[in-house]
Amino acid sequence: MGMIYIMLIVSLLVALFFLVSFFWATKTGQFDDDYTPSVRILFEEETNQHINNQEDGSTKV
Amino acid sequence: MSMNVCYHCGDDIRGKAVVADSKQFCCTGCRGVYTLLKENQLDQFYALERNSGIKPTTTVEHKYAFLEVPSIRERYIEYEDANSARITLFLPQIHCSSCIYLLENLKKIHAGIVNCQVNFAKREASIVFHPSLIKLSELAQLLDSIGYAPNFGNRQESDRKQDKQYMYKLGVAGFAFGSIMLWSFPEYLGIEGDNPEFRNFTAYLSFLVSLPVLFYSASEYLVSAYKAIKFKSLNLDVPITIGIFALYIKSASTIFSGDGPGYMDSFAGFIFFLLIGKWFQNKTYKSLSFERDYTSYFPVAVTRLREEKEEIVEIEKLEKGDHLILRNEEVIPCDSILASEHASIDYSFVTGESTTIHKSKGDFIYAGGKLRGQRTVLIVDKETNRSHLTQLWNETKSSKPERTGFLYQDKLSHYFLIALFLVALVSAIAWFFIDSSRITEIVVAILIVACPCALALSAPFTFGNTMRKLGRQGLYLKNTLVIERLNEITDIVFDKTGTLTATNFHEVQYVGDPLSASDCHAIVAICQSSAHPHSKGIVQFLTEQVTIEHATVTAFIEQSGKGIQGVVNGKKWTIGSANFVSTHQLHTSETATYVAMDNHVIGRFIFTSKLREGIAPLIKRINSKYTLHVLSGDNNQDKGLLEQLIPLSSNIRFNQGPADKLEYIKELQTNGKKVLMIGDGLNDSVALETAHVGIAVSEDVFRFTPSSDAIIDANKLEQLDTLLTTAHYAKVVLKACLIFSLAYNTIGLSFAISGQLTPLVAAILMPISSISVVLISTMLVFLNKPSR
Repeated sequence: MGMIYIMLIVSLLVALFFLVSFFWATKTGQFDDDYTPSVRILFEEETNQHINNQEDGSTKV
Repeated sequence: MSMNVCYHCGDDIRGKAVVADSKQFCCTGCRGVYTLLKENQLDQFYALERNSGIKPTTTVEHKYAFLEVPSIRERYIEYEDANSARITLFLPQIHCSSCIYLLENLKKIHAGIVNCQVNFAKREASIVFHPSLIKLSELAQLLDSIGYAPNFGNRQESDRKQDKQYMYKLGVAGFAFGSIMLWSFPEYLGIEGDNPEFRNFTAYLSFLVSLPVLFYSASEYLVSAYKAIKFKSLNLDVPITIGIFALYIKSASTIFSGDGPGYMDSFAGFIFFLLIGKWFQNKTYKSLSFERDYTSYFPVAVTRLREEKEEIVEIEKLEKGDHLILRNEEVIPCDSILASEHASIDYSFVTGESTTIHKSKGDFIYAGGKLRGQRTVLIVDKETNRSHLTQLWNETKSSKPERTGFLYQDKLSHYFLIALFLVALVSAIAWFFIDSSRITEIVVAILIVACPCALALSAPFTFGNTMRKLGRQGLYLKNTLVIERLNEITDIVFDKTGTLTATNFHEVQYVGDPLSASDCHAIVAICQSSAHPHSKGIVQFLTEQVTIEHATVTAFIEQSGKGIQGVVNGKKWTIGSANFVSTHQLHTSETATYVAMDNHVIGRFIFTSKLREGIAPLIKRINSKYTLHVLSGDNNQDKGLLEQLIPLSSNIRFNQGPADKLEYIKELQTNGKKVLMIGDGLNDSVALETAHVGIAVSEDVFRFTPSSDAIIDANKLEQLDTLLTTAHYAKVVLKACLIFSLAYNTIGLSFAISGQLTPLVAAILMPISSISVVLISTMLVFLNKPSR
C-alpha cells in the first residue's frame, strides 16, 4: 500500500512538470503564432540545389 | 479566365498585358516584382499560392527618409550593435503562405538582410540586418517595392500580457482539475471507505492544489463581484462568487473533518470552464486595429526647409511659421498656408469630396489632405495637435458609454439571485419540519448547485462563435458586445462616397465629337501609360466599345493630378482636367476628363458615381426593417440616383461635413433612435464613434480605417442584411442556451432540495451542463444558414 503514496507523488510531479512546461511555452511565445511555422516547414532549402544545377545540371548527393 | 489575370497579383488585365517569360502581367510594377523574384531564385513564391502577389504602388521617393533621423530611428530599432540590428515591422499586406515564403527569404534579395521571421497572426516581420550594408530607409523601400509597405503608424501595444495571464490561469485550473479528478477516482468508484488514511491523504492533496485555483485562477471573478457589491449593482459574477464560496468552504470543511475530498473536483472544473469561456470570448482580431487616433493617419515626419537646407523633423516638433516641403501623394500634417504658386489637394479622405481642390498662393489649407502634383512649399499655421481635424476628433472622443458585461445577463442575474434566495428560504423552512439538523447542509447544497456556470458560458460562447462566423463573412467586430448593440438598431445611416458608391469605380460616358477607331487606339495607348483611376476608367470604357489595336506613344508627359500628354501617329493628344487641356467649357457640377487633339478640345469623358454591386437589392431588402438615411460629403450631383434608392428624400443630405454628420446622428439619438452608421473616411469617424454602432467600410481591412466598432469588407457590404440577421440569430441562440442552463439548474436544485446532492452527483452534473451548453451554442451558430 505504501507504494501508492510514492506513485501519487510521482504523478503529481509529472503533472507539475507539464504545468511548468506549459508556462514556459506560453512565456516564450510558442502559442503566439500558430500559422507561420506550419507553412515554414514546407519551404524547400533550394539554395544547394541551385548551386548544383549551375555546375553541370546533375544533383550531388 | 486564367488567361486574363495577372500572373503576379491576380487582377484582371485591362487592355494590353505586359509580358515577360510568356507570362502576363497587369502592369510594369507587377512584372518588376516577378523579375526581381526570378533573378533571386524565389519563384517558388508562385508555386505556393497562385496569383497571390501584391501590386506594388508607385512609391514616392524619400518616402522613408525620415527613418534616418536618429530620434525616429531609435523608436523602431529594438536592438543594435556594430554588425547587426533588429526591427519588427508591421506589414499589413501579409496574407498568405507565399508572403511568408518571400519575406523569410528576403536575405536572398539583399545581402544586408541576415534573417527575417514572420508572425502571420500579427502580420509582423522581425528582421535582422547589417546596418552597414543596408540602411533602415532602404530596407523599408525594398519591402515597399515588392508590395509589403511597412506601416509606421502608432500601433497600440496589444494586450499580449493579459492574454498570457489568461493562459497561465487556465493552465493552473486545468492542472488542478485533472489532478483532483484522478485522486477522486475511489470516490467515483464507491471504494473510498476501504482505506480512510489514504482517503485523507488525497483529500489534503486536493485541498493544497485547489488553493492556487481559488486565489489565482478565480481571482478576477471574486474581484469583479466585490466591486459590484461595493457599487451596489449586480452582475453575473455575484452569483458565481456565491457559488464558488459555498463550494469551497463546504469542501474545505469536509476535508478537515476527514470526510473525503468534498466537491473540490467540481470546484476546479467549474473555474476551468469559466476561464475557457472568457478566453474564447476575448480572442479577437489581433491584426486589425479598431482604435485609431489621428497620428496613425499623419506621417511620422516631414521635410522642413530651414536656412536653405532641407531637414527631416518629427511632426510633433513643427512650429508655427516653419516652411514645409511636401511631395506628390504626401499628407498635409497641419493647418498651413500655401507658399508655392499653385497646388492641387485631394481631400477625399477627409471630406468624401471626390474631386481635387485647387489652391493658390496665400490660401489657407486644412490638414489631412493629400498633395497631388509637384513639390510644394507650405508655411505651418497651427501645430499638428491643434489643427482643425484633430480638434474635431478630440471633441467627441469616448462619447459612447463602454459596458463591460452583457446586458441580458446582468438583468438576468437580478432575477436569478432573487429566485435563488427564495428557493433557499423555502427549502430551509421545509427542512426545519423534516429534519432541522440538515438545514445548513441543504442550503449550502442549493447555493453550490445554483452556481450559474452554464449560464455564464452561454453568452461568451454564443457571441464568440457569432463573432467568428461574421468574421468569415467579412464583418470584423471589435468585441462581442457589438453583437448585442447590433440587435437594437432602428436606423441605418449610410455615407455616400466610398460606402454606397465605390471611390474608384465610375460609370463613364463620352460627350463630344465622335471618335474614330484610330482615335480610340491613340487614347487607350496614352491612358495605359498612366495609373490614374480616370485613365483606367477610360481604357476600360473604350475597350468595351471597340477592339483596341496597339499604337506607339512618343513624347509622353504625365503631370500628376492634372493630366497626360502624348503623340500618336503625328497627332498630339492631351487628356486631363479642364485647366490642363485649356478649355473654357467648364461644367462644374460634374467630374470630367477632357480630351484635346492638337490643342483642340474634341470632347470629354464624364464620370458619374456608380453604386457598388448589390447595393440596390440590399436597400430594397432592408428598407422595411430599418429607417434609412444617406449623408453625402459631395455635391448633389447624384441626387437622382439616390432618390430612386431611398424612399424618404428628406433623409438624404448633401454637402455634409464631419460636424454636420455628427449633428444629424445626435438629432436621431435624441429622438430615441438607435443608429447604425456605415462610413469609410476620416470625415465619418466622428459620426462612427457617436453612433450606437459604427461600421467602417474598407476595401482592404488591414489598411487605415477610422476608429469604429466593426470593419466590413467592402465587397461584403451587399450582404449587410445577412450579417444583421446573423447577429439577431445570436440572440435566439443565447435564449435557447439560457433555457438549457436553467433546466440544468432546476435538475440540480431538485437534488439539492431533496438532500441528495452528493459530491458525485455534482461532479457529473457540472461538466455535463457546461459542455452541453458550449456544444449547443456552437452547433446552433455554425449550422444556421440564414435565408434572405
